[in-house]
Amino acid sequence: MTDVNTSAPAGDELPEGYERQRMDVDVACVGFGPAMGGFLHTLSQGLTNEDGTPVAESKAMPGMPPQVICYERADDLGFGVSGVVTKGRGIRASFPDLDLTQIPLATEVKHEEVLYLLDPVGASRRPVLMRLADKALKIFGMARNHAFKLPYVPGFLRKEPGILLSMGQFNQWAGGQIMAQGQAQIWPGTPVAGPILSGKAVAGVRLQDQGVDKRGVPEAGFMPGMDIHSQLVVVGDGPVGAVGRKLDEQLGLPAGNHAREWAVGMKMVVDLPEGCQLKAGTVLHTLGYPEPEIFGFLYVYPGNVASLGIFVPSWFDNPVRTAYRYLQHWMQHPVLWKHLKGGRMRSWGAKSLQESGKRGEPFLAGDGFARIGEGSGTTNVLTGSGVDEAWTSGVLLGVSVLELLKADQPFTRENIEKTYVRRRQESWLEREAKIAEKARDGFQNGVVQGLIGMALTGLTEGKLFWPGASKKPHERIPSIESYFQGRISAEEIAAIRKDCTAKGLPLHGALMDRAGWPKVEHDGQLLVSHQDALLMGGKVQAPSGYRDHVTFKSHNVCAGCGEKVCIEACSGQAISANPEGGAPLFDREKCVHCGACLWNCSKPSPGGGESSNVDFQAGAGGLHSAEN
Amino acid sequence: MKGLQIVVLGSIVPDPLQTLEPVSGPTGPALKNELMLPAVLDPWAGHALYEAANLAKKVEGKVYLVALGPKAKLQQVMMNVAQKVPFEIVVLDGPASGFADAAETAAALAGGVEKIPGLDKSKLLVFGGWQSASRGTGAVLQMVGELLGITDQFQGVDEIAMAEDGSFTVLERIEGGSYQKSSCQGAPALLGWATGNLPEPPNNPQVGMQNMRLIMPALAKATPAPLKGEGLKYAGVELPSQRRETRVVKNAPVEDIARELADWIRA
Amino acid sequence: MKVLFLAHTEEDGSLGKAAAEALGAAKGLGGELVIGLFGAEVQKAADSVAGCGAVKFYGVAGPEFATARYGSDAAAAEAIAKAAGAEIIVAPSTSRMSRVAAGVAQRLGAKIDTRLTGLEAVGGKITATRWFYRQRMVGKIERDARPWLVTTDTGCFAPCEAAGSASVEMLTVAPATRSQVVEIIAPAADAQTIRPDAKLLLVAGAGWGKSQADGQKHVDEAARLILGLLSATQASLGSSKSLVDQSGEGAALPFLTHMHQVGQTGSTPRHPKGLATCCHGEEPHVVGWRFVGERRAINLDANCGWAQGKADVLYVADAFAVMSKLVDLLK
Ligand SMILES: Cc1cc2nc3c(=O)[nH]c(=O)nc-3n(C[C@H](O)[C@H](O)[C@H](O)COP(=O)(O)OP(=O)(O)OC[C@H]3O[C@@H](n4cnc5c(N)ncnc54)[C@H](O)[C@@H]3O)c2cc1C
Ligand SMILES: Cc1cc2nc3c(=O)[nH]c(=O)nc-3n(C[C@H](O)[C@H](O)[C@H](O)COP(=O)(O)OP(=O)(O)OC[C@H]3O[C@@H](n4cnc5c(N)ncnc54)[C@H](O)[C@@H]3O)c2cc1C
Ligand code: SF4
Ligand code: SF4
Repeated sequence: MTDVNTSAPAGDELPEGYERQRMDVDVACVGFGPAMGGFLHTLSQGLTNEDGTPVAESKAMPGMPPQVICYERADDLGFGVSGVVTKGRGIRASFPDLDLTQIPLATEVKHEEVLYLLDPVGASRRPVLMRLADKALKIFGMARNHAFKLPYVPGFLRKEPGILLSMGQFNQWAGGQIMAQGQAQIWPGTPVAGPILSGKAVAGVRLQDQGVDKRGVPEAGFMPGMDIHSQLVVVGDGPVGAVGRKLDEQLGLPAGNHAREWAVGMKMVVDLPEGCQLKAGTVLHTLGYPEPEIFGFLYVYPGNVASLGIFVPSWFDNPVRTAYRYLQHWMQHPVLWKHLKGGRMRSWGAKSLQESGKRGEPFLAGDGFARIGEGSGTTNVLTGSGVDEAWTSGVLLGVSVLELLKADQPFTRENIEKTYVRRRQESWLEREAKIAEKARDGFQNGVVQGLIGMALTGLTEGKLFWPGASKKPHERIPSIESYFQGRISAEEIAAIRKDCTAKGLPLHGALMDRAGWPKVEHDGQLLVSHQDALLMGGKVQAPSGYRDHVTFKSHNVCAGCGEKVCIEACSGQAISANPEGGAPLFDREKCVHCGACLWNCSKPSPGGGESSNVDFQAGAGGLHSAEN
Repeated sequence: MKGLQIVVLGSIVPDPLQTLEPVSGPTGPALKNELMLPAVLDPWAGHALYEAANLAKKVEGKVYLVALGPKAKLQQVMMNVAQKVPFEIVVLDGPASGFADAAETAAALAGGVEKIPGLDKSKLLVFGGWQSASRGTGAVLQMVGELLGITDQFQGVDEIAMAEDGSFTVLERIEGGSYQKSSCQGAPALLGWATGNLPEPPNNPQVGMQNMRLIMPALAKATPAPLKGEGLKYAGVELPSQRRETRVVKNAPVEDIARELADWIRA
Repeated sequence: MKVLFLAHTEEDGSLGKAAAEALGAAKGLGGELVIGLFGAEVQKAADSVAGCGAVKFYGVAGPEFATARYGSDAAAAEAIAKAAGAEIIVAPSTSRMSRVAAGVAQRLGAKIDTRLTGLEAVGGKITATRWFYRQRMVGKIERDARPWLVTTDTGCFAPCEAAGSASVEMLTVAPATRSQVVEIIAPAADAQTIRPDAKLLLVAGAGWGKSQADGQKHVDEAARLILGLLSATQASLGSSKSLVDQSGEGAALPFLTHMHQVGQTGSTPRHPKGLATCCHGEEPHVVGWRFVGERRAINLDANCGWAQGKADVLYVADAFAVMSKLVDLLK
């Protein structure tokens, strides 16, 4: 066993006989999510004059219109994961004649509810205050089906009038619209390895090597990742994108900012049972169960279909935080199960959210690059929305890039700040982000403080908040023994650990059983094993020829790690215990690229900095469901 | 043999891991949510395309892809395929359903091939997958071949080796894991490919950019190719039920289990 | 209704099993049966089914029809079909017949459907059954147009055997082809563990490579037991993704490769019986069992996937112990 991870160096050294090819374009874009949709749509619409001539000439290919290329990691534009309910202000502004019937699964929001869920099984770890509240609700007969419906939906959470979308179908539709305009090419199945930096300036991006084995060692058909040089790199690679994170590592964040608040959102799209009472356009938000830290959502599409799921945040200090099992318990809460029982899983998926919002905002612009979308801090944790915010940031950049192209101005930091960053600061995006900035600080201290803080902030438009100092995600994670103190003895945990490790299983199953969570009775349709969900819902697959994109920096650190949160939290059961000891095992073919392993590790990076012992890179493959 | 024209016939099928369910539509059976299902280039046709590109590189030939499918879906799939190898495309905007009649599909494809500008049948090799992953008849290519007058046809091909003079040998899959090796004097010929033995080519952005210059216009001027759907009638399409009544044998002595199994195996 | 059974003969002049089954299917339609055979020789094959009730035998024979070539086979089949003038033509879906069936249909102006798993005539109406989307769904189809040429899948129809002596009308055909068969390359026969024709499929799962009750792995023992059962039963070996992945990395059983993987991303073999050992029965694996008839499993875990309607019988037991006894019993 070696201590350092064994992947090949990502440097410039190539085996003899191979050359790294280079291509020049004008605008190179990373990631196709709603942010990039907003950008490319706005740009495409403005690149041609009324007489059909281009508004500017390509510098990369003189005589041609500007060459705009976008690279998306996933195998299709429709393989993203989200909720999605949105006010859709930015999206509607981009498509004034938006006809929702053209986008499969889309519909108007008709009805909203917030449900506080009591604990029907008695296994949830509730603070005393919450227990008292639960009791009171029961005594006064205010809870039905173990749930209390808030008398009204607080304004900051309200989405009406808004839209329900499927992220996959929306992205596919938006991508089709953009491609049809012929101004930009969007290439899925192409992970970008990182930015090409020279000092603080970005000169382009480098694509991931192909034709390598899992360690990154060249094999038959080796093709070194191409260097794409461009005047401008647009970084819209979302919460866990490799390009954005490398820029953060190299350039740091503006003083006082840090991106430490995370959550993993795990969801399903469900064919509701026949005769289900839920009406299309219904939006349910839940809190309180399966654990107080876990929020849930259920949105109803036309055709008796629902999008539903939970968020497991980084401030939920449980080292065996498995989103999959919690999702199953959440669905079986009586107030939801009465609608879901007999339903069928159509789709399943998971993805991280960067929940630091404004607090996690990086440098939005630099020489040769601009940042948009969730990776640039657009997601609003108070209102629980990210899609329209991401889209709008892209639109603002699109307008600005057109302005600079027309004026034949170079994409310097000053020029991008004068245009894009200024527009963003003057927009509703910034206004609302500021209100939300400290909304969740209270959760650093506890879930009750957090909930009160959120309500305070929301109701006073950001004037009041519950203060709390943030920690790096790995600093928060307690040992398993201390988390279960008073419930499961250290000896018993040791025995469970030994047994599970020998079988190559994570610990959460045994520990949750022991903590009183009922066994999940599989029905083969909606409640299925995690592996089955990967296939039936996620359709997970991985093309060969790419290196493992999840590696462990120091194997010795892993060997001595008692929590192994990476295994417990892995959304795809792609990380498993190594019966031989040492670093966990990673199976690329089960990975859904949710990025949860990035922040679900209890040990700091041996190299220091904000990160942990997991190295998460851009890889190909993952979910193949276009409905999430 | 220089200047070969290699025409690959291939269309799209649902991404292999998708859950498929039949529904009956106005024109016969269809797949539930067909428009929402992500699609890929039919895998065996994909192998044919990569083999074609590989051969074209050796013989300075040219590769065409003739695809019959719904235009919007084809556009999406091309964003995956076009980065792989250089080709020109002929788009026939019509159904790619597994429930369409093979003969109608073949007639449309043959028409598409005939329309390739500068088509020279003495230099023509028609490639394709030996079966589609949708209909799986293995019938379309043969009929296209007949319509084009090609009577040297090979199916289940895993390898082609071409000599300087344009003659070639092929390996075809036959029963029992064996191969039949044949020789042919040269074009025109038709090859229905199995998997071949080339690895999937890497995504090459330069190839993608070049291909797109021709693919986007070709998509824009796609020929409508609605199939009549005459003659083939469906009395029903269904998913087979797989669920069994499982008898669980617990706490039985090992000897008894072994004996029961031995009897069952021998029976 | 006139039905033509159309097939090629085998290298030794006999009629193959797949062809005998296709004849069974043709006969099952009722109607007036005509038989057409082509190959190096046809008399022996015709005699082997002489008593099947056919009213007429056609043949095309000669050295140019000894090997499977599109040009010669299509010409022979076309000549026979034209001479017979049948409304329904039934042929086996051997690789040789499959290569030309659709081309022949095109020449005849016939409709074609291939790889039928069912074919029946009820009240003058013929309904054919075939699978779509890589055997994911099954459909029943009908056609009014004639002639209609169909090929039948193997293992779906009862073979027709009826020896006697047949009088065959030989047709002369001059095929035009620019192709030659050079050779048949058979796979190396040594230690073949994938046997498509075996009665039994033995699936070995990842449990074989895992630590057992004593905390130890027993990989050598596992290999001995699995190979023991294979040699005692001539079963075909399948495996799970987990085990072949491990084997690929040299951690488990040396004789396993990805070729053995059964399941969604592996193969979907056809066998009358299947026995799963140390395999959990997750859906991605079990979808590969679609065409395995009777299914039994041995697993330590009573809640494994097999228990949920995926097997006919689940034995909750230690596979090491059961297999060891089983191999002894079957030796
Ligand atoms: C379960 C869940 C539910 C949610 N519900 C809602 C909701 O109801 N309403 C709402 O408004 N928001 C919701 N959100 C948040 C919302 O989805 C995100 O804020 C939004 O998608 C962010 O958009 P984006 O374009 O910035 O990034 P993303 O959507 O993350 O897109 C980034 C893209 O970049 C690609 N990429 C990453 N790295 C690379 C690389 N190196 N090379 C190439 N491509 C790369 C990724 O594959 C991805 O497609 C939810 C999120 C989740 C996970
Ligand atoms: C998209 C996708 C595609 C996939 N494709 C495939 C595929 O094509 N084929 C495939 O197989 N898998 C596939 N998988 C993986 C699949 O989900 C499972 O992970 C895999 O099948 C598990 O293999 P297993 O049952 O052998 O191993 P495990 O799940 O590890 O099960 C081992 C079993 O052995 C039992 N056991 C241990 N010791 C003994 C003993 N002494 N006696 C009896 N029983 C014992 C245990 O109880 C356990 O049930 C795919 C997964 C995904 C996500
Ligand atoms: S990656 Fe982190 S959590 Fe996982 S074993 Fe290593 S140190 Fe522990
Ligand atoms: S290994 Fe893959 S599936 Fe698991 S947490 Fe990391 S990104 Fe998610």
